[in-house]
Amino acid sequence: MFAGKRLSKELAKMQGHLPPGITFAKSDNLEEWQMDIRVLDDNPLYQNQIYRLKFTFSQKYPIEPPEVQFISLPASHETPRPIPIHPHIYSNGIICLDLLSTAGWSPVQTVESVCMSIQSMLTANTRDERPPGDSDFVSYNKRRPRDINFQYDDDNV
Amino acid sequence: MKVTFKEWNAVATWRWDMPDDDVCGICRVQFDGTCPTCKFPGDDCALLLGKCGHSFHMHCLMTWIQQEASKGLCPMCRQKFEWKGNEEDGNATQNTQDITQDTTQDIQA
Repeated sequence: MFAGKRLSKELAKMQGHLPPGITFAKSDNLEEWQMDIRVLDDNPLYQNQIYRLKFTFSQKYPIEPPEVQFISLPASHETPRPIPIHPHIYSNGIICLDLLSTAGWSPVQTVESVCMSIQSMLTANTRDERPPGDSDFVSYNKRRPRDINFQYDDDNV
Repeated sequence: MKVTFKEWNAVATWRWDMPDDDVCGICRVQFDGTCPTCKFPGDDCALLLGKCGHSFHMHCLMTWIQQEASKGLCPMCRQKFEWKGNEEDGNATQNTQDITQDTTQDIQA
């Protein structure tokens, strides 16, 4: 009830206007939305590339954070979408960002503000690397992103 | 000519003293509208004005404050959320813990 009303408000607002580099990709229902983002400056790591974010909302959104991760669409797809390289983004698309955790979330955040935070997280990055332990994490992780206790120990990127 | 009133009905309107386009940051509904848990706006769906300058529908803020993860903080500025009470009553401020207790009593009553 809470989530549905709030999401319809956000959807209506987004159909009017979104910040540059952020576009609405699709939503088959109100529980899952996909957004496309691209970096606006000429950061060579992300040039000419569009990335797809998947938002999954619980009934308690926006009191609880949405689950947000990158998803990939193969190069053969009509709209190919890779997973951006970043020291806080695992190669399976899971993002380590404190505002997406229960502890860092605030109910005044929106899909738009989360997209902008992730966009600026990419813009600011200069490191062509995955998080430490990426291959192990990707092979063994069966948990959902919000159940993972990330250590937000790196304030530099 | 003498006129006698047999019956009259008084009608009045009121609104929150807030800018028209201001929305509650939690539910994104205008302050004059009602929060998502209420059917009608008005006295039963009050606003809370925070000492930090941020306002919300009372029900929206309480839903947030009752989450352990909120730590009692304002969703906008992450300062402790304390609301401006009615200064004339001598209750200049009341913190969210008191509100939580009041709400609980209401529910029990």
